[in-house]
Amino acid sequence: MGQIIIRRVYLSGFLLLVFSLFYYQIVKGDYYLQRGRNNYVRVIPLRSIRGTIFDRNEVPIAYDKATFNIAVVPYEIQNKKDSLFMKLAEFFDCDVNLIHKNYEKRKTNIFSPVDVIIDCDKMQTLKAKDKFGEVIIINPQPRRLYPQGYEFAHVLGYVKKAVSSLEILKKYGYTPSERIGFGGIEQYYDAYLKGDSGGDLIEVDAKGKIVGFLGERKPEKGKDIYLTIDNRIQTRAYEALGNNRGVIILLDSKKGEILALVSRPSFDPNDFIKGENIKKLFDDENKPLINRGIQATYPLGSTFKPIVSIAALDSKKVTDHTTFNCLGQFNLGMSVFKCAHVHNQENLYDALTHSCNVYFYNIGIITGSQAISQWAKKFGLDSPTKIDLPYEKNGLVPSPLWKSKNLKTPWVKGDTVNFSIGQGFLTTTPLENAMAFNVFATGGYLLSPYLLKKIDTTNAVLSAKVYLGINKELLEPIKQGLRGAVVSEDGTAHQLNNLNLKIAGKTGTAQTTGKSHGWFLGFFPYDDPKYTVCTFMENCGSSFYAVKTTYNFLKDLQDEKIL
Amino acid sequence: MFFNLSNIKSNPAKVIIICLLFLNILSLTIVYSSLHQRGELKNPDIFYKQLTWIMISWVILIMVSLMNYRLYFDFSSILYIVNICLLLTVYFFGKTTMGAQRWLAIGAFTFQPSELSKITTIFILARFFSSSDRKYFIKGFILPLSLVLLNAFIIFKQPDLGTAVVLVILFLMMGISSKIRKRCFVFLLVSGLLLIPFAGHYLKDYQKKRLIVFLNPNVDPLGAGYTIIQSKIAIGSGKLVGKGFLSGTQNQFNFLPERHTDFIFTIVAEEWGFLGSIFLLLIYWLIIKLILDRTKEMRDPFARCLSVGICSYLFIHIFVNIGMTLGILPVVGIPLIFLSYGGTNLVVSFILVGVFLNICRNT
Repeated sequence: MGQIIIRRVYLSGFLLLVFSLFYYQIVKGDYYLQRGRNNYVRVIPLRSIRGTIFDRNEVPIAYDKATFNIAVVPYEIQNKKDSLFMKLAEFFDCDVNLIHKNYEKRKTNIFSPVDVIIDCDKMQTLKAKDKFGEVIIINPQPRRLYPQGYEFAHVLGYVKKAVSSLEILKKYGYTPSERIGFGGIEQYYDAYLKGDSGGDLIEVDAKGKIVGFLGERKPEKGKDIYLTIDNRIQTRAYEALGNNRGVIILLDSKKGEILALVSRPSFDPNDFIKGENIKKLFDDENKPLINRGIQATYPLGSTFKPIVSIAALDSKKVTDHTTFNCLGQFNLGMSVFKCAHVHNQENLYDALTHSCNVYFYNIGIITGSQAISQWAKKFGLDSPTKIDLPYEKNGLVPSPLWKSKNLKTPWVKGDTVNFSIGQGFLTTTPLENAMAFNVFATGGYLLSPYLLKKIDTTNAVLSAKVYLGINKELLEPIKQGLRGAVVSEDGTAHQLNNLNLKIAGKTGTAQTTGKSHGWFLGFFPYDDPKYTVCTFMENCGSSFYAVKTTYNFLKDLQDEKIL
Repeated sequence: MFFNLSNIKSNPAKVIIICLLFLNILSLTIVYSSLHQRGELKNPDIFYKQLTWIMISWVILIMVSLMNYRLYFDFSSILYIVNICLLLTVYFFGKTTMGAQRWLAIGAFTFQPSELSKITTIFILARFFSSSDRKYFIKGFILPLSLVLLNAFIIFKQPDLGTAVVLVILFLMMGISSKIRKRCFVFLLVSGLLLIPFAGHYLKDYQKKRLIVFLNPNVDPLGAGYTIIQSKIAIGSGKLVGKGFLSGTQNQFNFLPERHTDFIFTIVAEEWGFLGSIFLLLIYWLIIKLILDRTKEMRDPFARCLSVGICSYLFIHIFVNIGMTLGILPVVGIPLIFLSYGGTNLVVSFILVGVFLNICRNT
């Protein structure tokens, strides 16, 4: 009886073992096989070197530099982790807590190396290898470097690990540790810049030592990109803006090539590479991350007047000889609309030269909001310029229909009055405004701006223009008026006359909540325009400062013989 | 088949010897594989030591099988006392390895008296159980229980929880199959199980850790849970036919510690797969079954008790060791008999088989 019990105990013991073996080896066999593989098969990613970004003079403004990460294998250091980290911190002169934090954050598999110290230079790394020997593993890694971070931040953007938006990127063949451009040229031309990552598939033992080689894929370097931007002009523009919030754009009037596109305040994209001070940038109420040239819209103020002039002349209700009397204000029913001065009798030329509001109130009413709205749209003020940068915003051109649809209130004459001096609902990005103004420089063509000059050795052909169908005779008096603003003693931008660059331009003081924005738009030389400049300064008070900044900027360029 | 079944039943000795020879070859093969790393043999002396131990064991087996088993009835008390003295010697003068005082050095050899306890316990229990009837409560239950507990306690203090547990289970198994009242053992088993939660207080830190890790290996994947996780990976990844001799990645790339001793089964499972493991279990089962079948025919109660003890000894080692590598039992340091590297256990196992062979000759 007792022996039968014992026999059953033995039998059930053996059966339990057989069932367990069946469960682990047959039912879950593939799972454990995979886990076993994860132990010993490792992919050593070989990052591709990202293409370099050059300016038009082939000065590098973004490139990859080799740096080294120090990695450890968790299984190897389990008992001496704390003391090792202390020694590493001492050797590399960094915070031991940071090492611990990196270790905890990046640890995946106990046999996979974990980067604990990132971005060491070559000499230091070699010395560390001598001192610590096999305990540490050197992980070479290309790192993006922006020698002129602040100046080019908004044009270039930066790179980050693809892991943050992997869900979307996976289908484009990105791996989590790969770098992807974000914002600016880095994002827009990422497909060219990124190259192809490769990797070694190796076998390692429990100590992380390589014991076998299974295969490899060579990384391929990304393509170099050459921009239309001139590093010298960009730097001068950045300096000219000083600490003001604002934008300076300089472009080739004929082709639409952007020579400078600066937005301030700016940030250092290198911070994103290092992962430092980022929260501060997001929290900053001046919003340094926004490219004010293309991602923010502002009221145009008087810089809209040339377009109102076209609308008026085209309507044939007004000619360039028509005059209106400016008494310093304009009465519409009970409302009073101001002008800056008492200009008395003014024709188109005078009105553009002096930026007389009363003149434009009058022709605005005569022309009608519908026609002005149509012309504003023709000049592209409500559609993106299609510049080769991501996240471009577009402006808003109001019309009676738009207002009743969106604000549920009818368009009144007061709206037309405001509209005709670029106030009210009308807003655009500085770049849209610059491109619209450039129509006067090209003699009736709306261009698409672009930044790409060539990829590796292939020249880019991005220039595109649309003929707006404006009669040459209509353009001429307006251009003269714009020239008048600079050459006339009492012109609004007379200061620029000192430069002898034959500038024609238009100032603008756009009222907004808080202090007014200052604008200056211009092109030069007047006879055969080569450059178009746009200076915008947020809440600076008046156009006076925009003119002054433009003056300093162009004077600098002239002194350096860049123009 | 080169032997017929009736022949096996009447004379199981030949089959058992064939099984043992086969297990010896398997042991050498697997120890060799466990020492093999990245295409070269590390510590070849371990392989040769094992070979030496196997040869010594066979000599001892032959000697023991020639000694009349009834001798053990008379000498069991003396052997028990000598063993207790040895254990105490170890306790006070023994060699400390890996935090435990288990080894006694004699010349160049070291051996573990705790392994000898398994023999003396089987002998003394066989004596008491065979000479008692169900009426003898003191002589048949209390006295042997106290002797086993004393022995187990000293071993537990070394500390060697595994061997101590083996002794207690031996007591239960041999007791249940004897004529003593079953309810005593059932009561003991139940009360023992109820006391387990309170036993935690007396366990060493590493023993507690092992128990916690047994319940959930992932609490400490780098520390105490490491072995069991890697062991499961090794066994599971063997799948149906295994990765082949010298091709187990867990083994060859050194992901498993202690794989030539307590975790040797993982190599069988990884390199020879489910089929290899089942084949090994079948051999073990064949040995146990042969012993059990023969036991039924024995008329001498002492012989019967002895062979149940031997059988239980084999079963406990197989079940607890493989169970622990599979993670269905906590990790206690028990070797896999006939396969694990280690001289003392091999000799002890062979002595016990020798005793059985002698019983077969004399009955």
